[in-house]
Amino acid sequence: MSHVTLREKTLSYLIVGPFAIVLAFPFYWMVMMAFKKDADFYNVQNVPFKFNGGPTFANVRLLFHHTKYVNWLINTGEIGVVVVGITLALAVPAGYALARLSGRMGQSLGVGIFLTYLVPPTLLFLPFFALISRLHLQNSIWSLVLVYPSFTVPFSTWLLMGFFKTVPQELEDAARIDGASRLGTLIRVIFPISIPGILTVVIFSFSLVVNEFVYAFVFISSSAHRTVSTGVYTDLIRGDLPEWGAIMVAALIPSIPLALLYNAFLNRFIAGFTGGAFR
Amino acid sequence: MSDTDDVAARHGRYDRRELLRKGGVGALTVGLAGSTASKAFGFYGPLRFKGRWLKGDLTIIQWVHFVPAYDTWFDNTWCKQWGEKNDVQVKVDHILNTLLPARAAAEVAAGSGHDLFFQLAPLAQYEDQVIDHKEIVQEVQRKIGKIGALAHKSTYNPRTKKWFAFSDNYVPDPVIWRHDLWNGVGLAPNTWDNVRTAAPKLKAIGHPIGIGMSNELDSNMANIAFLMCFGAFIQNEHQQVTIKSKHTIEALKFMADIYQRGETSEIFGWTPSSNNDFIYAGKGSMILNAISATRTPEDRHLPFADDLWIYPIPKGPHGRYGLEHVMGVYSIWKFAKNKAAAKKFLSDLEINYRQAFLASKFYNFPTFPGALPFNQIQKYARADTHKPRGKYQILTTIAKKYTYNVGYPGFTNAAVSEVFATFLIPQMFAQVAQKKMTAADAASAADQQFKKVFAKWRKAGKI
Repeated sequence: MSHVTLREKTLSYLIVGPFAIVLAFPFYWMVMMAFKKDADFYNVQNVPFKFNGGPTFANVRLLFHHTKYVNWLINTGEIGVVVVGITLALAVPAGYALARLSGRMGQSLGVGIFLTYLVPPTLLFLPFFALISRLHLQNSIWSLVLVYPSFTVPFSTWLLMGFFKTVPQELEDAARIDGASRLGTLIRVIFPISIPGILTVVIFSFSLVVNEFVYAFVFISSSAHRTVSTGVYTDLIRGDLPEWGAIMVAALIPSIPLALLYNAFLNRFIAGFTGGAFR
Repeated sequence: MSDTDDVAARHGRYDRRELLRKGGVGALTVGLAGSTASKAFGFYGPLRFKGRWLKGDLTIIQWVHFVPAYDTWFDNTWCKQWGEKNDVQVKVDHILNTLLPARAAAEVAAGSGHDLFFQLAPLAQYEDQVIDHKEIVQEVQRKIGKIGALAHKSTYNPRTKKWFAFSDNYVPDPVIWRHDLWNGVGLAPNTWDNVRTAAPKLKAIGHPIGIGMSNELDSNMANIAFLMCFGAFIQNEHQQVTIKSKHTIEALKFMADIYQRGETSEIFGWTPSSNNDFIYAGKGSMILNAISATRTPEDRHLPFADDLWIYPIPKGPHGRYGLEHVMGVYSIWKFAKNKAAAKKFLSDLEINYRQAFLASKFYNFPTFPGALPFNQIQKYARADTHKPRGKYQILTTIAKKYTYNVGYPGFTNAAVSEVFATFLIPQMFAQVAQKKMTAADAASAADQQFKKVFAKWRKAGKI
């Protein structure tokens, strides 16, 4: 029995091990690059996987003292929180309505909403820019708060629609028989058991905001108002000279909390994504 | 009837004498206040909007300069001082050069954006969206003399008689090469024949040639210049497409040979900074690039910095024809909010271009030769202490003798700008180098594409 367990475990590690190494490698690379000296980057004789001549904090100093990185982090965080709030406020009721109230129409509407998510930002940034300009929101983070829900809400609605369908109708019926209103049923019964789905929407929307580039680049032109994704690209590539070390520090810092967040809620995240997969 | 003697008050209006008296007192008060205002507000910094015709903000968007010291000077010294002197709040946004075209498209689509928009190549395709910059050219000419031929041919449309941009600078495009490596194979890149001969030897010792064939600025410049050295041109002086020629075919075959014997496939995916990285990593033996590729190794004390030499573009069968590496042009959109300040800013910048030249470490050359004559540039270059001593002196020769506009021998028109912006030339080279097309087929295909573009702009009345 123990032999079988050991063999199974070994097999699991043999399969998972290479994947883990491949997936962890970017983090390792970021850490190495973040603390390497300039001369280390440009000497092709050096082994790139280790420090040649010791680590340095010069890249961290460059990032924090000579760029507006802290502003970019704050902007990204603010936009992320507000966009997640808007997304939840719109997608949760919409997803529930499509799952429960629209009958057969719900599926078609859900697919229709999801399709809007597939329109690429490269097509939409010109008309959106005109709109932002008319609203006098150019160079303001509120332009992104306004635009980002256009792609977070459709996907989240579609995702939640699938998730809400997995919640047994009988639970709702029981609550209604016990005298709960529809809103009360939603708040007391449906939402608590839909936490994995809602959490998935939170993580997904926040990740999209952190990663988005095209809108953030077009709508924001001053360095102080940029997000991390555009600030790093614009302010840390000096013409034809990328500041590799500082870029890696800049990428490493936001990726750590995101990785921890994903890991902490991994099971719920998977449940959220696969919730509607079998219905 | 009334209990006051004030006639004006009685009748609700002033008679002539009363009006003159009150007007005089008012004018005196305003005059006195005005003359002492600067002292009165002395503790609070310069007055806003004292130069009334320039009042307001001036917004500028431009690239992140390849020489970081230039941006520091431009933002913190030039714009600050100019703003204080003219009582205008100057705001400068910097974005990466590759993102400028998308930004320009967005601003035009929205009809809103920055007062001054900077590009690295003339935006002739936006002629209808910009003002005529003639007034600025005339003002600068009045102060420091005639505009250079390069800027004239790059920013003026002879068909519509419109200056569709104002160019403050251009950047000579020399060959940057590793003297130690080339010396090892007993050659120098002074002719394209030498480059072809040395290429396999250099590649064999792990130091290939680095001429890009990718959708990016440096590849565009290098490939067009290479064509011209072989007598092949995008258009003639009458703005007719001339790309389909035996010279183009010869050039395409020649470059394909250089690639196959002396380059690596990475050049097909290069960005504007890739050839610089190629040199900085100690791998590349030769690139066509501005002097930022030598300045960075100097600044970072890279071990081979002293072995980086500068030459004019290699000589081809037709001669030595280079392009500018960058044609720095500012445009003022028709929808710009502060056109007056934008115009004055540009003319003042050009008139005082010596400071810009020095801040850019000899990277930016003024488009008006009178702003900083070549003999003075030569003097500065001679004083540069980097090794080999005096290596930057060759820049004046390159600028004077071997630097032509995109679209030479014609003007840089909207059609040429579109050919340039859509990277049709590097694509043509890449097709042949990768053996996807024969040189003759690639030239024919390019000819068809170019003719469509030219027909479109001819129909629009721009060429």
